Amino acid sequence: MNEQERLIREAIAAEADQAVDYRAVLSDLHRAKPRRRPIALFAAIGVAAAVAAVAVIVPLGVDRGAAPGTVDPAAPPAGQAPAQNVLLIGLDEVTNTDSVVLARLGPDGTASAASLPRDSWVDIPGVGMGRLNSAYARAHSAAQAEGRDGHAAGAEALVLTVEALTGTQVDHYASVDMAGFGALADAVGGVEVCLRTAAKDQFSGIDLPAGRHSLDGAQSLAFLRQRHGLHYGDLDRITRHQVFLRSLATKVIRAGDVAKLNELVEVVRANVRTDPGWNPLELARHLNGTVRTATIPVGEVIDSEAGARLAVDPAAVRTFTAGFFADQPATPSTTPDGSPVGTPAQPTPEDGCVD
Amino acid sequence: MPDDDYDQFVTERLDRLLRYATALTCDKHLAQDIVQDVLLRARQRWGRIGEMAAPYLYVKRMVTNEFLSWRRRKARRDVSSTHATLDELAPMVADHAVRHAERDAMRARIAVLPRKQRAALVLRYYEDSTDTEIARILGCTEGTVRSHISRALQKLRVNENIPSEVLR
Repeated sequence: MNEQERLIREAIAAEADQAVDYRAVLSDLHRAKPRRRPIALFAAIGVAAAVAAVAVIVPLGVDRGAAPGTVDPAAPPAGQAPAQNVLLIGLDEVTNTDSVVLARLGPDGTASAASLPRDSWVDIPGVGMGRLNSAYARAHSAAQAEGRDGHAAGAEALVLTVEALTGTQVDHYASVDMAGFGALADAVGGVEVCLRTAAKDQFSGIDLPAGRHSLDGAQSLAFLRQRHGLHYGDLDRITRHQVFLRSLATKVIRAGDVAKLNELVEVVRANVRTDPGWNPLELARHLNGTVRTATIPVGEVIDSEAGARLAVDPAAVRTFTAGFFADQPATPSTTPDGSPVGTPAQPTPEDGCVD
Repeated sequence: MPDDDYDQFVTERLDRLLRYATALTCDKHLAQDIVQDVLLRARQRWGRIGEMAAPYLYVKRMVTNEFLSWRRRKARRDVSSTHATLDELAPMVADHAVRHAERDAMRARIAVLPRKQRAALVLRYYEDSTDTEIARILGCTEGTVRSHISRALQKLRVNENIPSEVLR
């Protein structure tokens, strides 16, 4: 380096040293942030498969308003809609119920979502005691044998079961195939998750070392399915669902351009079924992004010959649901984890890593 | 959360971006305006920017473009008085002060270079960018980069005045 170049370097460095203190600018930038971040908040719902469908759609309706044909931009503002209870059902490819979420959409645009562990041992109306996830499958196969719509029958059976368990009337349902999440993961080019320990399990087919991963469609499904080898079984899996969906929602939001988002919406549409006469896209425009999440209170894990089941006290569930769903304008929790009043201690993955 | 990645980027790179922009503009307030504008815009498009192999390079390009096309022209520092002062002081002062003065003189000369030349210079001598990177950031060919830099060096040399001669 010659003398002149050295001098130029010094001069430019001296000039750069005049820069204002970045910390002041940092706080300016933070102030400039939009106060309401419906997407981020909605991503936080992350409780069940079907909710991700909404997480995909909400950004279109609430934030971008730029996806023709998905949400009517002239829709009336939130605040006019009556409260609705919606059952969100995540299904695997053989119509087993992988996740069940009862959500209450408040008239003020807030949402409260309660996860119901699929292994909950509950009374299935007309059948007797059984695992929550058997309600759908049983009715589905019975209906198909008679040439009826298996999906409708399955969803209705699950609706009845959840109504009986929670003492809450269900107005609508939406079911989503978990396979849709594989398609979504592929469509967004992979979903990032972080594993605290290596995951290997022949049932789900998962085989990943510890650390951060970008999951493709097939890996996503294995990740979402794995229960065996997890300390808390299905409860761990609910946590995985939440983590996965947050990450997926992040990727969806990052997708940016309308064409890509429309592609994602199509993937969602192809994988979501609802009761006749209800359009889950309606959901999007009624929500303001405030979401509280929780899991119903469950008792001990009971190992039986037919696998693990979770003891559930229906009275406790009803009390919990009534309290959780009661309109609580005083303390609308906007934190990602909501207020898990009366729920079992679920490890909150603060570092984004899961077991 | 969606903004975490962006927040991290800003926290890690803000200082460097501000310094870079200040070196470009020779005006810390203008630099601040540019960097803030750019970062707010980058946040809206973070979906794509964050996915890139080198987000910093992209944001730096945004800052550079903003500088090159900046319309609100702010009063440029009065550089001529600096020169006059230096000329008077040069023969009298100690080595340390001479170097300091010499550096300030160079700063002043850089500050009046055409913007593209200045950008190329800052990228090479402050950011240590390769010609390929500079070409990408400035949106021109490597040949043009080299021509910007050689012209800038030429001007800075032509304008060389007493202090540097004293040292040699």
